[in-house]
Amino acid sequence: MISISTLRADAEVLARQLPGLALQAAAADVIHPGAAGRKRAGSGEQFWQYRRYTQTDAADRIDWRRSARGDEYFVRETELETARTVLFWTDPQAGFDWSSDPGRETKADRARTIMLALGILLAKDGERIGLLSGSRPASIGKSAADKLAEDLLSSAAERIDPPRAQALAVVASDFYDGTETWRARLAPLARTCRHGVLLAISDPVEHEFPFSGRTKFSRPGSSLDRLFGRAETVRDTYLEKMAAHEAALQKLAEHMGWALIKHRTDQTSLRGAAALQVALERFGGKA
Amino acid sequence: MTFGPFLFMAPLTLLGLIALPIIWIILRATPPSPKAAQLPSLRLLENVDAKEETPARTPWWILLLRLGAAALAILGLAAPIYAPGAQQSETSDGPVLVVIDDGWTSAQRWGEVRAAALSALDGEARDTPAHMLLTAPRSLNVDPNERLSRAAFEARIRSLQAQPWAVDRETALARLDESGLRPSRILWLTDGLDPDSAAPFARSLLSKAPLSIFAARARGPLALTRLNADARGVTLMATRAETIRASEHFLSALTLDGAALATAELRFEAGQSTASATFALPPAALSQIARFQVTGSATAGTVWLWDSADRTRRIGVVSGDSTAQPLLSDIHYVRKALEPFATISDGELTDLIDENPDAIILTDIGQIDPQARAAISNWIEQGGALIRFAGPRMAGPQTESAVDDLVPAPLRRSSRAIGGTLTWEEPQPLGDFPEASPFAGLTPPDDIRVRQQVLARPGPELARRTWARLADGSPLVTADRRGQGTLILFHVTAGPDWSDLPYAGVFVDMLRRSIAAGRGEAISDEEGLYSPSLTLNAAGGLTQPSAGATPLRASDFGTVIPSEEHPPGLYQGPAGTRALNVAAEYTATAMTDWPSGARLLGDAEARTIRLGGLLLAAAIALLCLDLIVALGLAGRLPALQRAVAAGLVITLTGSLALPGDSAAQSGFQRFTDDIGDKETAAALDMRLAYIETGDARADRATKAGLEGLSLVLFRRSSVEPAAPHAVDPETDALDVYPVIFLALPDTPEPLSETAMARLNAYMRNGGALFIDTRRGGEIGAGNSFDDLDRVLAGLDTPPLAPVPQDHVLTRSYYLLQSFQGRYANRNLWIEATGAADKTERRGDGVSRLFVGDADYLAAWAIDERGRPIYSVDGGDTQREMSIRFGVNLIIYILTGNYKEDQVHVPALLERLGEDDGVGDFDLDEDVIP
Repeated sequence: MISISTLRADAEVLARQLPGLALQAAAADVIHPGAAGRKRAGSGEQFWQYRRYTQTDAADRIDWRRSARGDEYFVRETELETARTVLFWTDPQAGFDWSSDPGRETKADRARTIMLALGILLAKDGERIGLLSGSRPASIGKSAADKLAEDLLSSAAERIDPPRAQALAVVASDFYDGTETWRARLAPLARTCRHGVLLAISDPVEHEFPFSGRTKFSRPGSSLDRLFGRAETVRDTYLEKMAAHEAALQKLAEHMGWALIKHRTDQTSLRGAAALQVALERFGGKA
Repeated sequence: MTFGPFLFMAPLTLLGLIALPIIWIILRATPPSPKAAQLPSLRLLENVDAKEETPARTPWWILLLRLGAAALAILGLAAPIYAPGAQQSETSDGPVLVVIDDGWTSAQRWGEVRAAALSALDGEARDTPAHMLLTAPRSLNVDPNERLSRAAFEARIRSLQAQPWAVDRETALARLDESGLRPSRILWLTDGLDPDSAAPFARSLLSKAPLSIFAARARGPLALTRLNADARGVTLMATRAETIRASEHFLSALTLDGAALATAELRFEAGQSTASATFALPPAALSQIARFQVTGSATAGTVWLWDSADRTRRIGVVSGDSTAQPLLSDIHYVRKALEPFATISDGELTDLIDENPDAIILTDIGQIDPQARAAISNWIEQGGALIRFAGPRMAGPQTESAVDDLVPAPLRRSSRAIGGTLTWEEPQPLGDFPEASPFAGLTPPDDIRVRQQVLARPGPELARRTWARLADGSPLVTADRRGQGTLILFHVTAGPDWSDLPYAGVFVDMLRRSIAAGRGEAISDEEGLYSPSLTLNAAGGLTQPSAGATPLRASDFGTVIPSEEHPPGLYQGPAGTRALNVAAEYTATAMTDWPSGARLLGDAEARTIRLGGLLLAAAIALLCLDLIVALGLAGRLPALQRAVAAGLVITLTGSLALPGDSAAQSGFQRFTDDIGDKETAAALDMRLAYIETGDARADRATKAGLEGLSLVLFRRSSVEPAAPHAVDPETDALDVYPVIFLALPDTPEPLSETAMARLNAYMRNGGALFIDTRRGGEIGAGNSFDDLDRVLAGLDTPPLAPVPQDHVLTRSYYLLQSFQGRYANRNLWIEATGAADKTERRGDGVSRLFVGDADYLAAWAIDERGRPIYSVDGGDTQREMSIRFGVNLIIYILTGNYKEDQVHVPALLERLGEDDGVGDFDLDEDVIP
């Protein structure tokens, strides 16, 4: 498991690479990343109305462009936006915190990096972020990203507890436990959260199956193993099973109305993060 | 235990072979272990059955491989020896012939040889008569026909000694044939060396009767074979018979009475049959040494007697001229000729006499004061060799009161010049050396011409005293004996002024032979008879010569083979002692090719082959093979192959890419050649140099400055310097640089004494030193040269003066009014030219020392793109002026006062009356073409 500083640094780098500005511009019109307009004046990005200057307003709130047109001073008010909540969850299984090559990040670390990067972006946009089944509630503001980073590394919740209120959920795993298991596991969550993202992260070895010869396979975190006399003979079968698994996962996501993002750890994390961002923006717009 | 031709040293180990079937069963039972892999997505394969399983049994050929390895290991541990000669032989009861190599090579293990000889009549052969054949030749040889009873044989053998000379097996065999003896068996006790003679000898013996061979080959160093002496010490070469293992021994240097003066390490490397040991001793100690000996092993071969002929001579040199330019000095040639062979000391004549050297060389000393003359005469009488060279002073007029009697023959007080414009004669080549001269045997070179010489007055003695003459018969070298010593006069100078002789190789030999004339040696060397004074016995001891030892002609040394008549030892003759060493130029070769029919005892068994190591190695090789196979089976090998392939690709592409890279290098930066031997690089290309002060900033500025100046020189003048070098005045060769820059940092460290001495020598020999204190910009710093005394303590500084207005430095390339650096209007100090005596001016009056404080180097400094680095007081104009000064400086340093005439051009033109336009010549700052 990576250290919190590395995780934070990686995520910051990633967050800087993501098109934050484009997000804000997008938020201004069609796809709204989470903050929802509340149809009244308040703190927000959108213009709401100009109103007359009153004695209680601070001088720097005066909109000079508007005021210059007449003799009166105007104050520009924006529409009140309240933050939306995005909740994250990573699979704590040993098989997920695993990498085929010691030089490469584990799948869980990749998931944490991507999620934290998005968390940083969301926190910057004033959204509420937190952990599903986390020990503390979702938080907002500058320290939210720090808290998320700590929680991502410390949490080891096996179960996924549905949040009390509506939220966007991001669930990261390799989903190798079988579609049915996952359907059952995600059902309570799907009831609460209308939208969410399944972040399926896999190792390249799991796609390529580059084994040959007499090989004893074992699952990380389990003592059971399986011996194949000639591993290359089961490769085709394995690849078929893999494709079927992915198809089933896609179906599960569609069924729940969630998005599925497939990411491999030999791809750049930017790619995964961008895909996740697009998915979140899509759901944010519908909200 | 023997098993056919095989002999097992540890036969019980063979019981391990019983275990082989068990190993077989175990190996069959264990399949190779699979490789392990982790796969989180294994759950996908939960319901899949593997179609094919690995055979649970190891393939038969792997079994065979492993069983073979085990069997080989067991056999190897049983230490088998292949010894075809080890079969038991039958003893017969006929007469036995005992052949003994009793040369010096047997001396080291003579006790064993003797014991083996005594055992010849042991056992069943108790009462058979014995015959003896000794292979070292003697004047009275033992008759092989002589029948010896057991008691007589024992007595004879016990009194038998090895001889200090070599064996001669051919004549011994001839003696045996002559005697007609028919032995029923032969025992040959040999030194096991020299297969050239030993192999046919053994075959001949075998053809006569069954042969047993006992070889006692000398262990460790067998002989000292050569000695090289030079000024640094003495090097001895040693040889040995066995070459397999590395071994270490020691050599002792002993005085005549046996006291050890020094020891040196003698190390034979594995596989080498020769080694050398060096004694680095001062000459005084070397002269005490009489012999060298391998410590702990004394035979005639391991003792090297050292005669006086090749000892390093001690020579004193007194020079008449005191020029500061070494290459023009006479003494330089003498020194160069003798340095490899002699220890040279110089000084005042009287001091040198006190040192009592072997020879004293005087070059062109005209007058010797009476006191010194008496001392030197006395020294010659006691055996010194005084070698004098003629010269202008000797040829000069002399007062009657001080007639120089230190010449072999009276001289005419004028020199004879041959081949000048006012003479009819051609310069003379050397004639043949007279027969009686010590130079006889040298070949006079054809291309030597003598242009001037002093002449001896003709006299009856002159012909006898002449050692060398010119082609026209006039003496070139004369010599006269005074007491035990010799007085030798070369009628030319020791330098090339009067003749080409100093250029010739024969000059070295002539000098060496002249020096050897001291101490009463080497006169008519070839004539003398040398009688043995002390001889070596086989055990390496010095003894009185036996009656059979006869005198030896001097000319025979080096060719005579030591024998009973001429045993190795010291020979006394007219020219001192000469040594005859038995092992000189000896090469030890071990005999290995013993005839197959012979029975081998002692070291001859060495033909047997110990197979244990070979078998174990084979077992390990099989195991390695097994490992590779096992890796291959487990599927690890493809990775290995990929790694090898990748390595190959990288190597190939790397080697292909390199030439392209180097060809691609070009552009502004042409200073890329600072790799390799710095000294060679500096000698091959003219380049500027600077002294690193240790202050990184100052050094960087200096380097950049010199690079800038080099570039400007390259572009503007025909001076094309290579990249500047940083030099360490303590270690680097300075003479290869025309000029060395020293820019002092803000807090300079004083230079070491060595560095100052070498800088002084550098300037004396014509090098230029440019010192920049870089203090010119400090306002109110007072004298910016204050610190120089401390930093450059001991620098040989002539009187300095600011550069005069009409100095060559203002004209050497550009016309300059002042010398600008980074700071304007600072004075540059150079050697004051007003030295009273022109001869005292160094380097033709060209200043060798430049001292300034205007930080010139910073003004010249450029970065790697050719842009100036540092700001300059007066902007670009002053920078340009500063660079022009730099060009002027280098041109001045390189051309000296060549441009001095140019300084006078205005005056000359004025004197010629051509006034037009001459007046503003001075002010025109253009290049003088």
